[in-house]
Amino acid sequence: MTVSLAALPKGHEFAETTFKMTQEWVSDYVAAVEDEAVGSLHDHSIPPLALAALSIRALLERAALPEGAIHVSQELSFSLRGEVRHALVARARIASRGERQGWVLMSIELTVEDETGTPLMNGRSTITFPATSGTPA
Amino acid sequence: MTQQTRDRRAYKAGDELPPVTKVLTQEKINRYAEAGGDRNPLHVDSAFAATTQFGGTIAHGMLVLAYISEMMTAAFGQRWLASGRLKVRFRGAARQGDTVTASGRVLRTEGGSTLCGVACRNQDGETLISGEAEVRG
Repeated sequence: MTVSLAALPKGHEFAETTFKMTQEWVSDYVAAVEDEAVGSLHDHSIPPLALAALSIRALLERAALPEGAIHVSQELSFSLRGEVRHALVARARIASRGERQGWVLMSIELTVEDETGTPLMNGRSTITFPATSGTPA
Repeated sequence: MTQQTRDRRAYKAGDELPPVTKVLTQEKINRYAEAGGDRNPLHVDSAFAATTQFGGTIAHGMLVLAYISEMMTAAFGQRWLASGRLKVRFRGAARQGDTVTASGRVLRTEGGSTLCGVACRNQDGETLISGEAEVRG
């Protein structure tokens, strides 16, 4: 059973996740966001937000978003130089968690590198959700 | 003009980036939910979403943010993928039927880096996302 993010405290580190970015998935992503620009670059270029979306997807397989969660802000830096051939490794931790007026504000730091250790992306997602969604154990 | 040629355009402070405009539909939101693995009912369950403060389904923030990334890819090409940085806040909800326009203006160029103010707005001019995007030198 997947734990809810609402139940996790500040400092929680998620288990490292390894995943592959297949060309088929990238095609699905590009179709979903209707990205007409990336196709004009080098073959196999990947939209940076595809990497972010797939990493967040991997994270959500470890911890579910609380019902009614809202994305507040996003920071991302990326370094994608050509095709991503290797398996990817994502690491995430809850960098901050606070509560105000019945809402929890939580920031999650996320880093992604390939299996050779080359950094590809790092970011910080901040979400908010009702405090009634749960409390840390 | 090829994308690689456009990469070399020297943007200067005050320049507007070519905007990107998309029309959101529930089908597109559903498609993104599948690709991104985020099936939060706020995005895909109209009955649930009707009971929330939003009164209906809303698009994923990362879907709307992808329009800014597409705009940056079109303007800066491979440089955006290789050395991009984003820092944004999600300020409003994008709904099915909305026409969303991503826009940007160069704020500063320095040492090979280009810093842009970026935003997504709906057809009524309401700001959905605002922040900064940078292509580093």
